[in-house]
Amino acid sequence: MLNVNVMGIFIRQVVPLGILVLGQLLVMKVRSIDLSGGGVILLVNYFISSSTFPGAHLSFFVVLAIVIGTLVGLFNGWMVAKRRVSAVIVTLAVSIILIGVVQFFAGGSPPGDVPAYFGEIYNTRLGSVPTPVVFWFGIALLMWLFLSRAVFGRFVTAVGENAEAAYFSGVPVQRTVILAHTIAGLIAGIAALVQTASISVGSVRVGLDLPILAVAATILGGVTFGRGDGGVWGPIFGVLSFALLFVVMTVFGIPEPGKQIAQGVIILLAAVLYGVRTAKAV
Amino acid sequence: MKQALFNIMTGPQSRQGLWALPLLMALAIILFLTIRTDHMLRPDNLFNLLAQAMPLIITAVGQMFVVLVGGLDLSVGSVISFTTAILALGGPAYILIPAVFLLAALIGFTNGIAVARLNVHPIIATLAMQYIILGVTLVLRPVAGGSVPRIVIDSVSGTFLGVPMQVCWVVVTILIAWKLLYRSRYGLHLFAIGGGVASGMEDAARNVGIRVRRNVILAYVASACFAAAAGIFLAGRIVSGDPAVGNGYELNAITAVAIGGTQLSGGIGSLHGTVIGAFVLALLSNGMTLLNVSPFVQTAIQGGILLLVVAVQTRRKMGL
Repeated sequence: MLNVNVMGIFIRQVVPLGILVLGQLLVMKVRSIDLSGGGVILLVNYFISSSTFPGAHLSFFVVLAIVIGTLVGLFNGWMVAKRRVSAVIVTLAVSIILIGVVQFFAGGSPPGDVPAYFGEIYNTRLGSVPTPVVFWFGIALLMWLFLSRAVFGRFVTAVGENAEAAYFSGVPVQRTVILAHTIAGLIAGIAALVQTASISVGSVRVGLDLPILAVAATILGGVTFGRGDGGVWGPIFGVLSFALLFVVMTVFGIPEPGKQIAQGVIILLAAVLYGVRTAKAV
Repeated sequence: MKQALFNIMTGPQSRQGLWALPLLMALAIILFLTIRTDHMLRPDNLFNLLAQAMPLIITAVGQMFVVLVGGLDLSVGSVISFTTAILALGGPAYILIPAVFLLAALIGFTNGIAVARLNVHPIIATLAMQYIILGVTLVLRPVAGGSVPRIVIDSVSGTFLGVPMQVCWVVVTILIAWKLLYRSRYGLHLFAIGGGVASGMEDAARNVGIRVRRNVILAYVASACFAAAAGIFLAGRIVSGDPAVGNGYELNAITAVAIGGTQLSGGIGSLHGTVIGAFVLALLSNGMTLLNVSPFVQTAIQGGILLLVVAVQTRRKMGL
């Protein structure tokens, strides 16, 4: 169990979720939410696994995924910041539209196979650590630097603390929210690539519950590991505890409904802890 | 007249919300379908339409209680599935039906406590609840099956005093909701709480002496109980328990409420608007089925409508 190789494999399972969390924490820091990740993952998976682009190179798919994610994120951000539509409704509706479109094109059945090089890259290791895990921590490090060192990071914190005060202090609130959503979309595109590589087949159901798990992991991370609303590492520990939970449930052979109940209870408990804490702070 | 037209076009000038627009939408769809297909206005299609619209109308009316106080209830779909699973457990109806409402009230109460007492965002709380209830439903009934009590089946088919049962369900639901919203202190308080939340003054209702938390909790209880009623109706229609029958109802109910002109930030909305909104959605799916549109595209179109409807409603708050 505590073998590095085994642990690496288990952690590797949650890498798509872990990457998605990095975007989720950014939008949640500006008091918004992004539930459109499921739709982005499905769309990218469809483009890679169907024969829409026959024989395309890896770099083409990477660019495609990033462009799709960024455009979706930009749209979300524009709707939330400019039109002031509820972020939940916008991102949920975008997700529904993307899912509906993909299922229509796929005719409801899995589209096909993913090019072999995705699986090959996914299965490589750096030393004894799987490459996806290294990749994940690399992006997390970048995100941490971005939030703690760049001016944009300050803007994000300011908007999250008090949007009105930030506005009167000269922080471009709308632009910050739009940019946060755009980056979250871009990260969702990257998560979609990793998720597709991890399952190595086309699917019309993949990754649909990842966004809400990302929300839960972010909340969980904000509570348990005292970085408050600021950290990148708290949510990452949240994801790792989900990985542990999945391992434990698999080891004890808990069936699917049990897993669902456990997930719901954990999300609720995390949210209650968070809610009680923020209520005291005010 | 000019002012009335202006009100319809520009947005909510009153507490009623934008309800005339969806009414025009419904009429336009009916007109279009009557011209394009020859079986739109046939009695069997109309009954089909009513049966399709019924559970959505009930769920949407319940959802509106929660939306009026600025919340959202994403657990209604799972409550519907859960209700059909409970009814299919077997046993006398006089135990099962009260049990269903009791359990639904308990679910709504838990949602309400989480939102109003423990300060959890409504979407997170009710989504977590959705996971839990769906899990429990899958334990009770992994695949569709079982049989529901006779009285449940009889209550949705046949006629009562010459009136089709579906119509009776509509009338009873609307009467109960109308009484609660417009002829009781509770309804007045709901509008007051929501008005405060929508205009950024959360304390306003409490400062005039309204018990905000209790009323919000009761709104979630109402939503869950209406969903349970929709579940009973559906159980009678499919004559069995099905863990997947309620899937998607939460979003359709929210869409119906939004189309009906209820403001999602709370405080503004109307019962007739919601009923019309649910009817428009049912008409759309009925029409798209008549025109042989793929069910997947129907999903996408409904998402698009939701997006469009919320995009034209302006609000002050940014974010969630």
